[in-house]
Amino acid sequence: MVDESLDCKGMMCPMPIVHITKKIKTMNPGQVLEVVADDVGSLEDVPAWADRTGNELMEKREDGGEFHFIIRKS
Amino acid sequence: MTSNDADDKVAIVVSEGSYDKAMASVFLGSTAAGLGMEVHLFFTFFGLELLKKNKRPRLKGMYRPFTGMFEKKMKGIGVESFQDMMDTCSEMGVRLYACSTSMEAMGLKKEQLRDGVDVLGASKFLDIAAGSKVQLFIG
Repeated sequence: MVDESLDCKGMMCPMPIVHITKKIKTMNPGQVLEVVADDVGSLEDVPAWADRTGNELMEKREDGGEFHFIIRKS
Repeated sequence: MTSNDADDKVAIVVSEGSYDKAMASVFLGSTAAGLGMEVHLFFTFFGLELLKKNKRPRLKGMYRPFTGMFEKKMKGIGVESFQDMMDTCSEMGVRLYACSTSMEAMGLKKEQLRDGVDVLGASKFLDIAAGSKVQLFIG
């Protein structure tokens, strides 16, 4: 159910958002992107980004210091 | 300029050219663009230096010798160099402006600046800023 994945581990703000933006541009509406990050800031940044851009944040989950996000492109 | 929706516009003045201000500018610029906002970055006074081709900004004062160390650290946490971040900003549609008065005062010609920079006066920038919900000053 995930179409694309993006590994943002080791990246600090604002790089995850920059890479997510670039990635989502290459995808089609309805496609699903999985992002893994370990910047604590991303926990609030990614939802804020999704909210502003109108993309749907389907899942946000913490797993051993890693943050997983599932985003559906609008 | 193209959008009438002030909510989605951010106008940022950059009046210092040190590494920290430079990075703050490209961080906020790229992030705002990533959030889908129309971003206008206006470089004035020492900030103008940042628009020079291949400019590598340094930390200020006594921290200057530690610039390389800092850049390395940034690279280690996935942050691109200032020049690469400027390219990223342009790619993401961030508009870059050079203050015409500062160019004259600093003796800078448009050919010395990176591609894609527009030269503006304060009135035009304020016109853009007046139509933006978010206005920031980095200096």
